Amino acid sequence: MVELKNIHKIFHGGTINEFCLFENFSLSVAKGEFVSVVGSNGSGKTTTLNIISGSLPINGGQVLLDGADITKMPEYRRYRRIGRVFQDPAVGTVPNMTILENLSMAENKGKPFNLRLAINRQKNERYCELVRRLGLGLEDKMQVPVGLLSGGQRQALSLLMSTMTPVDLLLLDEHTAALDPRTAEIIMELTDQIVREKKLTTIMVTHNLRYAVEYGTRLLMMDKGAVVLDQSGEEKKNLKTEDILQLFNQISIECGN
Amino acid sequence: MLFLATTLDGLQMGLCFAVLALGVYISCSILDFADLSVDGVFPLGGVCCTIMMLRLGLPALPAVLLCFPLGMLCGAVTGVLHVKFRISNLLSGIIVMTALLSVTLALTQFLTGTGYTTTIFSFRSADLTGLFNGALTSALTDRFGRGAKDYITIVILLVIVFIAKLLLDLFFKTRLGYLLRATGSNEKLVMTLGKNSGSYKIFGLALADGFVAVSGALYAQLYTQYDNTCGSGKVVLALASVIIGTAVFAHFRRMKDTTAVILGAILYSLCLNYLVLIDTNGIYLKLLNAVLFALILIFNEKISAFLSRIRRKKEQMQHG
Ligand SMILES: Nc1ncnc2c1ncn2[C@@H]1O[C@H](COP(=O)(O)OP(=O)(O)OP(=O)(O)O)[C@@H](O)[C@H]1O
Ligand SMILES: [Mg+2]
Repeated sequence: MVELKNIHKIFHGGTINEFCLFENFSLSVAKGEFVSVVGSNGSGKTTTLNIISGSLPINGGQVLLDGADITKMPEYRRYRRIGRVFQDPAVGTVPNMTILENLSMAENKGKPFNLRLAINRQKNERYCELVRRLGLGLEDKMQVPVGLLSGGQRQALSLLMSTMTPVDLLLLDEHTAALDPRTAEIIMELTDQIVREKKLTTIMVTHNLRYAVEYGTRLLMMDKGAVVLDQSGEEKKNLKTEDILQLFNQISIECGN
Repeated sequence: MLFLATTLDGLQMGLCFAVLALGVYISCSILDFADLSVDGVFPLGGVCCTIMMLRLGLPALPAVLLCFPLGMLCGAVTGVLHVKFRISNLLSGIIVMTALLSVTLALTQFLTGTGYTTTIFSFRSADLTGLFNGALTSALTDRFGRGAKDYITIVILLVIVFIAKLLLDLFFKTRLGYLLRATGSNEKLVMTLGKNSGSYKIFGLALADGFVAVSGALYAQLYTQYDNTCGSGKVVLALASVIIGTAVFAHFRRMKDTTAVILGAILYSLCLNYLVLIDTNGIYLKLLNAVLFALILIFNEKISAFLSRIRRKKEQMQHG
C-alpha cells in the first residue's frame, strides 16, 4: 500500500544546524494493516507522516502509494487518497466556521467545490447523528464556530472529518493526546471501529503504549530516525505493555536521558 | 442647505465606496491578505468604463459590468505573484499597483478628443452620462425638478449595492464559498481536502479586485469625470470602512458582515464629507481623516464596554 524506499531527510541542509534525521530509511505498510507507531520525542514519527503526505520535501529516496511513485506528486493531490488528523488540534478544522460548515466541507472532499449550496436540512440531521457518536455533546453546538471548542473536541471532530469520505490511507498523529482519559478511551474505540468498518489502512502515532499494544495489527517503535522494533501477527498479539515499556526505557537510558 | 447637500453627496460616495469595501472585505477579512493593488485597480475600473462608453459606444450598465472581469485579471496577477512566485502579499500588491499607474495613464490617452481633458491625468465629459443620467432620471427630474436627481442617484446606487451584497452572501453559502473562507483561515485543511489552496487564493483575490474595479467605474460615472489620481488612498478608505463596519456594527449580533461593511463605508464617507464643512481649505483634511478614524475606533471600545456592562446587569436582574 505505502512504501518508503531509502529515504534521506536532512533538515537545515548547508547550515551549521544541519541535521540528518533519516538515512536510508525504508518502511512498507501492506493494505489493510493498522500500524501503531511509538517512540520518544523527536524520533521522527511526525516527519515520517509528513514525508508520506508530501508536506516535507525529501533529499533522496522514493515514496510509493499502491506501487505508483508519488515522490513528485504535490501534497494536495496526495491528500485525495489520504485522510489525516494532525498532532496540532488547530490544523484539522477551520476555526471561524461552524461544526456544520466544517463537516459539510469534509463530506464534499473528492467532489467538485462548485456553486451549489453547501448545507441543507437533510444534511444537518445526518451530521448531528454522526457527531452524537463522539459522545462529547457536540450535537448541541452544531452552529458554534469550531474555534470556540476545546482542543480535544476539535481533535475528535477532525477524526470524524478525515474519515467522512472514502480514503485509502489514514494518518493519525497522536490524535488522542489532547483528550482527557475517558474521552481518549471513547475516541480510540471509535477509531478502531471506523478503521474496521471502512477497512482503512492506518498509521497511528501514539505515546500511549497501552493503545499501541491493544489496538492495531502491527507495532513499530522508532528511535533517532530508525525503526528499532517491528512486530505484527501473533508476535504482536502476545506483546505486553510492560515489554514495550522496558525496551523504551532501555533505549532512553542508552541515549543518556 | 449646505448641510443637506453634503449629506446627500456623502451618501452617494458612501454607496459607491461600499462596493469597494465589499471587495476589500473579501481580500482582507476572508482571505487575510492585505491587498494594496486596490489603489491601481480602482482608477483602472474608471478609465476602462469611460473608454468603453465613449470610444466603444457601449451602454453604461454593460460598461460597468465588464469592468468586473478586468479587475479580476489584475487580482489574479497579484495572486499569481504571491502564490506561484512566493512574493510577500504586500509586495505583490504594490507591484501590481505600480504597474497599473502606467497602464491607466496610457489608457487615458485614448480619451483625448472625446471630451475636455484638463491634464493628461484627468478627463471630464458631459457625455459620460450613464447609469445616473439615463432616460429614467431625466423623466423623473422633469416631473419633480432638478432637486430629485440626487435622490434618484442614491436609489440607483442602493439597488446596485444591494444586488452586490445579495450575490456575495449567496456565494459564501456555496461549496466554493466555503472553501474560500477555509483558504483564508486554514490553508492546510484545504490541502487535506485534496484542493490546491493557492489556486483558491488567486481566485479570491481576483473576485475582490473585480468589486474594486466596478466601484471605480461607478465613481467615474457618479462625477462624470475620470481622474488618474482617484485611486490614491483607496486602500486606507476601504480598510477603514471594513474595520469600522465590522467593529461598530458587531454589536448587532444577527447582522451579516457584508451589511456591516456597507454601513461602515457609508458612515465613514458621511463623516469625511462633514469634515469638509469644518476645514474648507482642505489643508488639514487628511489629518482630520486620521483623527476621525482613531476616534471612531476609540469610541467604539467605550460603547462595547458599556453595552456588555448593561447586558451583565440585565442578566443579574433576571437571576435576582
Ligand atoms: N520543519 C522542521 N525543520 C527543522 N527540523 C525539524 C522539522 N521538523 C522536524 N524537525 C526535527 O526532526 C526531528 C524529528 O521530529 P518529529 O516531529 O518527526 O518528531 P516526533 O517523533 O513526531 O516527536 P513528538 O513525539 O514530539 O511529536 C526533531 O529533532 C525535529 O527537531
Ligand atoms: Mg510528532
